[in-house]
Amino acid sequence: MTVFADRDALLAAVETLSDDVARVAIDLPLRANLSALDNVALIPLYQRHFDATESTRQAQAMLDALGHADIAPLRDPDMTPAQRFIAQLARALMLKRPRLVIDRPGAMLYDVSYPDFIRGLAARPEMTGTWEIYDFSWNQALYPQ
Amino acid sequence: MNFLAASIESLGAKVTGWFTVGYGMFAFLGRALVLLLDRATWNRATFDVVIKQVYFTAVQILHVFLGYALVISWLMISIILSTARDFGLTEFATEMTIRVLVLELLPFLTALFIALRSGSAINTEVALMRVNNELDALAHCKVPPMQFEFLPRLIGGVVSVVALASLAGLLALLLAYLSIYGLTMAGFEAFTRTVAKIFDFRIMAGLAVKCALFGLAVTLIPVTAGLETPKKLFMVPVSVLRGMMRVFFAIVAIEVLSLALKYI
Repeated sequence: MTVFADRDALLAAVETLSDDVARVAIDLPLRANLSALDNVALIPLYQRHFDATESTRQAQAMLDALGHADIAPLRDPDMTPAQRFIAQLARALMLKRPRLVIDRPGAMLYDVSYPDFIRGLAARPEMTGTWEIYDFSWNQALYPQ
Repeated sequence: MNFLAASIESLGAKVTGWFTVGYGMFAFLGRALVLLLDRATWNRATFDVVIKQVYFTAVQILHVFLGYALVISWLMISIILSTARDFGLTEFATEMTIRVLVLELLPFLTALFIALRSGSAINTEVALMRVNNELDALAHCKVPPMQFEFLPRLIGGVVSVVALASLAGLLALLLAYLSIYGLTMAGFEAFTRTVAKIFDFRIMAGLAVKCALFGLAVTLIPVTAGLETPKKLFMVPVSVLRGMMRVFFAIVAIEVLSLALKYI
């Protein structure tokens, strides 16, 4: 976890992130008129040029791996903040970039105890890679030392 | 003197603004055309989105549109026939019906129909996508918005306007025949001769180009107006207002140009 004293410092750090970092952030929302499944399926469809059936299968597998297969047909406005976060996280994981930064999780996960929620997701057997959290210093107490 | 300077300044700002908007629109169209010619664009994903756009723009409203075209055509044909009879010009009724309805009125009304239904929706959606950072999110995921969001809308608009105007034209021709000759084959030869005389290659090509330009206007202008929206939610209605005004002026300009080229 990386903590920042204020917004400017955090934004400056985000600005320096390179293209090989996948980011989950409130300023990178889902496409509102697509379901969670379609939002995730966009990545294999457009980046790896799989057909629609295979892209949808991969997207569903990702949601299954995160333990939230049930959110697949939901669109952004129909999701709870936690469900929306899962969809954004699934999309970021689908990018298969070496680093994943969860930027200000408190802004997205305001209806759950987010450090526990994220730890629970990261501990799932299918999850690999490095997850980093960017948060403000005053939230540090929420995370177990 | 101050008033004069302020007026000139304001006029200059407006003219510069128009040029900027025009340049932005044509630059966007240029990018879209380049992408259209790129073989890599034509993958299954883009094709699926194009099909979806044609469905939402044309197929979904087909029954409403054909009903509307039927009523308008029937009214116009009745007015033309009754006026032609009053002035003893019945032999020109077929030609007048085709020229007024099929070549001018129906393509124009089709463009207005699509502009009001789909153009306004496209403008609002693109503006909201911009305000909500959805375009930035797509860019972060390396999903090209032009290929995924904009190009299919442009193609969908052109295909839809051309297809709907053609269908409405065929319906009007059928209705005109039935109104003039009734349920008999007696006038078929004379009617088809008139149709063939009017629809020479130049007129057909002109009609196709006009419909394609209408289709482009009702999608390209809303997309570019949406992309110009400042990232403030309250600017979305302003963006739609501006976009739809531009669409209206563009449709009228295309129609006036087409009339001038044909008849002057």
